[in-house]
Amino acid sequence: MTIDSRTIHHIAGLAELAVTDAEAKALAGQLERIVGLVAQLERVEIPSGVGAFVAGPAAATLRDDVVAPVPLNRTPEMLTTGFQRGFYLVPKLGSQEPAE
Amino acid sequence: MTAVKNISDAIRTGRTTAARSAEQVTRLLIDADKKGLNAALDWSPAYLAHEARRIDHRAEKGRLAGVPIAVKDNIATLDLPTTCASRILDGYVSPFEATVIRRLREAGAYVACKANLDEFAMGSSTEWSAFGRVQHPLDPSRVPGGSSGGSAALVAAGVTPVALGSETGGSVRQPASFCGVVGLKPTYGRVSRYGLIAFGSSLDCVSPFGEKVDDVARVLAVMSGHDPLDATTADRPPLTLDEPRRDLRGLTIGLPAEYFPADLHAGVRAALDRTIARVRELGAAVKEVSLPHTQYAVPTYYIVAPAEAAANLARFDGVRYGPRGGAANADLTQMYRDTRGRGFGPEVRRRILVGTYVLSAGYGEQYYHRAQQVRGLIARDFDAVFSAGVDLLLTPTTPTPAFKAGDKIEDPVAMYLADIFVCPSSLSGHPAVSIPVGRDEGLPIGAQLIAPPWHEARMLAAAAAIEGVVDAKREVRP
Repeated sequence: MTIDSRTIHHIAGLAELAVTDAEAKALAGQLERIVGLVAQLERVEIPSGVGAFVAGPAAATLRDDVVAPVPLNRTPEMLTTGFQRGFYLVPKLGSQEPAE
Repeated sequence: MTAVKNISDAIRTGRTTAARSAEQVTRLLIDADKKGLNAALDWSPAYLAHEARRIDHRAEKGRLAGVPIAVKDNIATLDLPTTCASRILDGYVSPFEATVIRRLREAGAYVACKANLDEFAMGSSTEWSAFGRVQHPLDPSRVPGGSSGGSAALVAAGVTPVALGSETGGSVRQPASFCGVVGLKPTYGRVSRYGLIAFGSSLDCVSPFGEKVDDVARVLAVMSGHDPLDATTADRPPLTLDEPRRDLRGLTIGLPAEYFPADLHAGVRAALDRTIARVRELGAAVKEVSLPHTQYAVPTYYIVAPAEAAANLARFDGVRYGPRGGAANADLTQMYRDTRGRGFGPEVRRRILVGTYVLSAGYGEQYYHRAQQVRGLIARDFDAVFSAGVDLLLTPTTPTPAFKAGDKIEDPVAMYLADIFVCPSSLSGHPAVSIPVGRDEGLPIGAQLIAPPWHEARMLAAAAAIEGVVDAKREVRP
């Protein structure tokens, strides 16, 4: 498996991460080594009937279906850069409307 | 008497006060900062004094009265910031506290400081903190292990008797081994994850460090138990501890061949050989066993954990938490990319990319689904050994003592392989504890006990018995 800078830029786009060309070049080599490590699993013989592992209790204990939010020590507007009348403020989507 | 019992007994009987305990911790934190340990991130004398007053004014002091606890900075606290040692959460103060913190504070303990870590708990050396690397308390040129290196270093340096870390793939046992303290990973589902900032949700466990086995056992007993705020906690009561035992008669201890390879570090082998001899002297039956899928644990972990991390860390986008990146005229997508590109450090970005890659179209079946199947085979290996009459497994915690800072930072795969003996039980959810069993050229070496799920009490009683007969500070190769 060869991972090149173009692949890195594609994955970084999916992951919403800004990556420069120089970073992409370095990351390509690192990811290729990591993917080489994890590719060992292709050698493992999986007996029939082995499903995906599930962590934790076999059945989750569910809460009562009651809306009871955890009381917060701070309000949402204290956590964020932009907040107005109960809404988080974010830039517009460039592909739909021009930014103001 | 162990540290936690000593402090809480003294405060309950009026021989000292939480205020005096907090003053001592303040002095120790100042000393640690002066020495450049860089293990504590946020703390203040005023906050410590405030917490001490809260305890001293209580009529019912609680089981952990006046016990100071360093808390890894990925566990939410109300009054101190929770940054995950990341620029993307710089200055973030949680509006709620983790269930484990609430339970410990209700039992009379207090948060002494937030402890440094590898950013978002991703690392094995605590070199990946955005706030600088943590020094090993015995040798500043070495790493304390990771990702909970700050917590381990604070206990090893004697600043706090206990600390909280988090385990995803060995992040408490490995630094406990490197620093010469006790590190306990409970069964997955024993302790609430509510308020632990998620990295790998199917792996994450809040886990304690202590000077002695008794210290971590007392902390686990308080913080364990079902939590309605975390559906993956088992519907079980808090852990009840076994009576201390003086011997190991009636127990069968398994030695998995895969954990004792021919090229195992000579000092680690000598320490384990000495420990196994003591275990026999204590009356345990010892037998060799096999966990054949051990070699696949690290590759499996480095699919499962990054995949879950890529999903969990998607929420850090500059909208709801922390600083926002991007130019003023950037559109929404560019703002996300700039915030995350600048806010996350190199190792976090690398793991997000690996996780996104293995989950991307066409690769999900090849990587993630297969890794979850292999994870099932690793768990089956443990189940087979335990159902064949083995009560506990004894292994080295790490393949080597603490390595030099900078030695593995440029080679992520070499860094990942430092966790080879702690990864398997993280993947399978089994409880395990690392205890110090000797030193090689001054550096601590840890041994690990692994138990069947929900058998922490048996495991801790056996660990305490071994602790009582092994001189953890003695050189193993004089």
